[in-house]
Amino acid sequence: MTLHHLKITAFDHVMVVERLLQVTRYRGFRLCGLSMLPAQQDNLLDIQLSVESDRSVENLTKQLLKIIDIEQIKVEDQGLQTYPVSEVLN
Amino acid sequence: MTGAELLLKTLQQHGVDSLFGYPGGAIMPVYDALYDSPIKHFLCRHEQGAGFAAVGYSRASNKLGVCLATSGPGATNLITAIADAFSDSVPMLAITGQVAKKAMGSDAFQEVDILGLSLACTKYCHQVQCAREIPEAVTRAISIAYQGRHGPVLIDIPKDVQVQQLDCEQAEQLLSDSTLNPQTVAPSNPVISLPDQQKLQTLLEESRAPIFYVGGGVGMADAVAQLRELMAVVKIPSVTTLKGIGAIDPDTDYFLGMLGMHGSKPANLAVQESDLLIALGARFDDRVTGKLAEFAPNAKVIQLDIDNCEINKRRGVDLAIVADLKDSMPIFKQLLIGLRPRLQIESWQQRCQQWLSKFPWRYDHQGQGIYAPWVLSELSNMLSANAVTTTDVGQHQMWAAQHMRMHDPKNFLSSGGLGTMGFGLPAAIGAQVSRPEDLVIAVCGDGSLMMNIQELSTLKRYQIPVKIVLIDNARLGMVRQWQELFFQERYSETDLSDNPDFVALAMAFDIKAKRINTRQQVNAALTEMLAHQGPYLLQVHIDEMENVWPLVPPETANHGMLEAGNAK
Ligand SMILES: Cc1ncc(C[n+]2csc(CCOP(=O)(O)OP(=O)(O)O)c2C)c(N)n1
Repeated sequence: MTLHHLKITAFDHVMVVERLLQVTRYRGFRLCGLSMLPAQQDNLLDIQLSVESDRSVENLTKQLLKIIDIEQIKVEDQGLQTYPVSEVLN
Repeated sequence: MTGAELLLKTLQQHGVDSLFGYPGGAIMPVYDALYDSPIKHFLCRHEQGAGFAAVGYSRASNKLGVCLATSGPGATNLITAIADAFSDSVPMLAITGQVAKKAMGSDAFQEVDILGLSLACTKYCHQVQCAREIPEAVTRAISIAYQGRHGPVLIDIPKDVQVQQLDCEQAEQLLSDSTLNPQTVAPSNPVISLPDQQKLQTLLEESRAPIFYVGGGVGMADAVAQLRELMAVVKIPSVTTLKGIGAIDPDTDYFLGMLGMHGSKPANLAVQESDLLIALGARFDDRVTGKLAEFAPNAKVIQLDIDNCEINKRRGVDLAIVADLKDSMPIFKQLLIGLRPRLQIESWQQRCQQWLSKFPWRYDHQGQGIYAPWVLSELSNMLSANAVTTTDVGQHQMWAAQHMRMHDPKNFLSSGGLGTMGFGLPAAIGAQVSRPEDLVIAVCGDGSLMMNIQELSTLKRYQIPVKIVLIDNARLGMVRQWQELFFQERYSETDLSDNPDFVALAMAFDIKAKRINTRQQVNAALTEMLAHQGPYLLQVHIDEMENVWPLVPPETANHGMLEAGNAK
């Protein structure tokens, strides 16, 4: 299992976070952390997503980018071995 | 003008002239507006039927299929068809009524969270909050349905928004704004880059046994003509997936048929022995690959697809080209023209030809009973090149795929990704409305037909001249076959010998029908059916123990296929 941190910029559309979570779960990633704030630019959201899986994070990011209202994704943390999740998040 | 009227005007603006749907409380204002609209509405007898009709309408042409339903149960009944469109990348617009905004979230009568429900099976879904938003929201949804890899979209419209009044001038302005908005114009899709062209060239030059593996993406990209031009340059052997059927003309040299679980022996053997697999709009589906680790084990892979997510998803590739197939095929063709003198594939072509000669389909069946593959092959010989065939799901579907010759992917509509029983009849209705000039045949199973049997009523109501060929084995045949082969002949719940009398049933809907039991009756019955002007049901009784061959068992490589002779 590997933990990944994704920084996502999305349009502030009502369905966008639901879609993000649905795709994350369906593609085999466990949600470990989530925060969302309005971005500096109007109508945009800054989303921080931490997920864990034994699948390639690239497959997830490609799927997430297909969500119409997701603009950009940065994987900020690649390939660290998983710590107990609570430790990492604290 | 009301929101409902504005909705219909917006659809008209996008060229929509037919809708498939079913009314109910929360969509009544739209139905009221339809009463005066030039758009033709087809009342199906179940929202699932309306959804599949929209899918069939889209798949048979380049036009957008649109289905319409009320909130709650109307909307949930659409879900299977939407999921089907999602699996098979079909552009389709579903419009649902919703309870009024102030009732939303209160568990109101017929309220269901359709946005939540459709999340996993739409590319995009949106609920409009006021009538003003309608033109732009619909335009955006339609453009998304066609953007990149196609797929279904859903617009949910609360009832109060449908009745909201707008002054006409404002409405006209909104309509013209929504067409002009450059954001809503289909975006340009990328083509093959120069470095990729070089890699492509090298891989082709090195290959001694290349094969085209053609999927549904070619048809969806409207790239059939481009593919054929490409294939005419060098006669590289080829196979198709279920959804790719029709993309390659069946008379093409070294075309080996469909690959996969029920693929032809030549197709599966050739793919297994190939050294270069050129996947065009195909996604290495599990029904295609069999045991993944042993699929085309010696082949390098070139994959062209519009959807980046399909690259390296199940099989690692040596060259990935994320591009629009229609635009990139001509570049590929130019490249092949340059390479032609240097390619060394003659002995591979001969090997493929030997497989074709050694393992042809055989129709010399014993006994007086009717052999389904033979009926479908005979039927196919009687059809013109532009006839459309739809199928349900099961053995008959695989027999149609194996034994009918298709000249365009728009002529063979089968539920591939989702494998949804009950698809055949309503999809045929949609296809017939979409292409009124062409003959439409629905090849159905007795189990599947019963799943949307109510659509016989739609045939009757509009005198839609679909010809139903019911392959009747009085069983859930495909499941029965698996029970026979893999569950020790324990035939749990697959006996349908208490089926209704299908001929009487069709006649109850004023549809001409006939049942045949022996091979001598086949040709006359097919001729009579095809000569009939209106809808027709031909019930073809076959042996319930008939199996589909070849069959690649689960977790087996495709060359380990079972055949009639070696199955037991
Ligand atoms: C909606 C749905 N439910 C269940 C299945 C599973 N299933 C696949 S094939 C099949 C049997 C189909 O029987 P029939 O339509 O009579 O066709 P046959 O195989 O006999 O040709 C079943 C139950 C399915 N594909 N779709």
